Amino acid sequence: MDLAGALQNPDQGWMQRYEIVKELGDCYASVGEYENARRCYEQASWLEPDEAGPYVGTGVIELQQGRLEDAELAFRVALRLDACNSRAWAGLAMIAQQCGRLQEAFDYYLKSLELDNNHLTALLGLFQVSCQMGTFRQVIHYLQVYLQMHPGDTSVMFCLAALYAREGQTRQAQELLKDILALEPEHADARQLLEELEHKAQQKGGNER
Amino acid sequence: MVRRSQHGPLVTVLMNTYNRPGYLAEALESVFAQTWPHFQIVLVRDGGCPVDEVVRRFSDRRLTFINRSENRGPGYSFNEALGYARGEYLCHLDDDDKYYPHHLETLVRAVESQDRCGAVYSDLYKVYCRVRPDGRRIVLGKHVEVSRDFDRMMMLQFNHVLHVSILHRKELLERAGGYNENLNVLIDWDLHRKLCFYTDFLHVPTITGEYYTPVGDSDRISVRRRKNVSDYLRNVLTIRTTRPPKPWPCVEDLSVLILTARADESLDRTLRDLWSHTFYPQRIYAALAPEEAAGWHTLVPNVTIVPAEAGSSLEARLDRMLSVCEGTYAAVVPAGLSAEMDETAWLERSLCPLLNSRQPREAFELVEATEGGWGAVFRTAELRQARRQYGRLPLRASLEAAGFSIRRPKTEDYPFQFDRMLAAAEQLQREGGWESAASLYAYLAEHFGNELWMRTQQAYALYKAGRFRQALEVLEPVQTVRPTVFTLQLAARIFQEQKDCRRAIDCYQRACRILDGTEARKTQTSAIRRRAAKPAADEPVLSSQESRPWI
Repeated sequence: MDLAGALQNPDQGWMQRYEIVKELGDCYASVGEYENARRCYEQASWLEPDEAGPYVGTGVIELQQGRLEDAELAFRVALRLDACNSRAWAGLAMIAQQCGRLQEAFDYYLKSLELDNNHLTALLGLFQVSCQMGTFRQVIHYLQVYLQMHPGDTSVMFCLAALYAREGQTRQAQELLKDILALEPEHADARQLLEELEHKAQQKGGNER
Repeated sequence: MVRRSQHGPLVTVLMNTYNRPGYLAEALESVFAQTWPHFQIVLVRDGGCPVDEVVRRFSDRRLTFINRSENRGPGYSFNEALGYARGEYLCHLDDDDKYYPHHLETLVRAVESQDRCGAVYSDLYKVYCRVRPDGRRIVLGKHVEVSRDFDRMMMLQFNHVLHVSILHRKELLERAGGYNENLNVLIDWDLHRKLCFYTDFLHVPTITGEYYTPVGDSDRISVRRRKNVSDYLRNVLTIRTTRPPKPWPCVEDLSVLILTARADESLDRTLRDLWSHTFYPQRIYAALAPEEAAGWHTLVPNVTIVPAEAGSSLEARLDRMLSVCEGTYAAVVPAGLSAEMDETAWLERSLCPLLNSRQPREAFELVEATEGGWGAVFRTAELRQARRQYGRLPLRASLEAAGFSIRRPKTEDYPFQFDRMLAAAEQLQREGGWESAASLYAYLAEHFGNELWMRTQQAYALYKAGRFRQALEVLEPVQTVRPTVFTLQLAARIFQEQKDCRRAIDCYQRACRILDGTEARKTQTSAIRRRAAKPAADEPVLSSQESRPWI
């Protein structure tokens, strides 16, 4: 049936039901209806057995319910189907972080960000693990990259400012904090950190005199 | 003999079956489930495996079964079925497709609500499915791939109406001479193209049925046959050059007058180009003396050789052709003039502005015309009069003397402006220019009709541009009139972006119900009850674009 004027020309029209069921599962997971979400993910993986998405979704709901082993299993299945799935790597990283395997978590978060440097959960996870481990060089890079893409994200700006401050890059930290306050004048944490930095700078200046 | 009971007109559903008994039962069930009860089914078994058992399940006097063991093709079968049709209106259903219960009622009410259009059509879901070993189909997606308002120029060039979605007066098909039995693909386009010579079509943008496309290697016979490219092109050219019986109330004929003094290679080349680079209905004339045409033969259809005096001037030959040609419009084409390789509307680019013009003595040059090979499209009566008055002058001088205004068409005069702009919007999308694409879709919706289609595209482009609130505003009226799986999924994604998961869940659940076939039934019955009070998608859409000049 050749026809002029196709309304939508879905290259993969047969993926529609899979997408809908999987996205419905994501929504159920977001509102805490885990059983409904699980049913959706099962149906989605039955429709498209080679897709990693439903296994990632299952991993997320297992993780949210504290079933770390089941979550890890789901994420690993997802990675077997798609080794470049950034969300699955981030899921494994969260499990490792919760189990106190910080180096492993750090590596998985990094892997996730290498695949998708726009992945906010992985970025913030990497920040937390970095704080716990005391290593900041790589996380600063990823925070900078993320901010290039999302210049107004004040939560990430604040993380970066805090890292600058911790690394002794006071001037960069102050500038970033001022940018945050320009965007969000009520940002109390930013105001407090800026005051602390200014106070320290004054003290330092006084001592030098 | 046409039947019209006190309850309304009788509709005959023509069905042809070949080797698909499993799906045939579902197709027949869908007809017997119609809310419009005044129908007759004429089912032809076009050879293949027996279907007697399936047919026996439907012991209903409304079903006429022609059990033929020889495979003669769909054109032959439909013509055979036509011989048994008693309805005032005809519908078509493939043996693997389905009507929704309101299909016939929607179309009958639309066609009976007005006098102008003898053909109406609705929209259908294209259903992507996976076929299980037991033959059952698992639905993977439902898309409204075609929802285009009637556009005669487009119909002449290619099809934009689904065969299963159309209902038309039986008498129109009889006037058109029935189905062409020599075609093995695109039989639906051939039918619709012929019908558009006699009537306008009405578009009812309601979804009233489904046609199935198995994922992977399609089992559709027409799809398999289409893979033979040369055979496919033979069918296309046959359809494009078909001239149904006159009179044509809705299409004005074009006479192509070839300026040549010899039957040679340059004439052949121009004829071949006319055959493959134009689509508007035409008859071609060449004025040649018997000795000039001796031994010459062409395969190009619709060519008339007009006798001329040997050695006569081109103007004298033109005047001879003008004295016999029948077209309302005349294209004067010098032999040797060629179309660009990828041009599909060679003469139509100059014809279209003339069809849209109300100004007397206006003509449009052929885009490829040169000083040495000049040609243009005219109103035949005006050209004839100019030549009668100033026949002693050379052609262009006579036109000047008669006060003709002749110009070369601009790009915006060409046919298919809607399609050109649509292609531009799609290109913008591919390049990531979502906001610009959204603006273009909005413009198209305002100026070219196809409202639901264009608004859906606009909403999608706005969503991709991150303009979620505006996307929802555009989508809301579309959803009110005709929610589809796609628009519900789009709305759900927007709600997700807005962190409104509850509303997203509602949309996704509704989309799932449509995919399962449970929502359709609910909508149909409530829509039928509501129709009188509040017309929505059931409202027919009259053409608002290229067909205007013929109205």
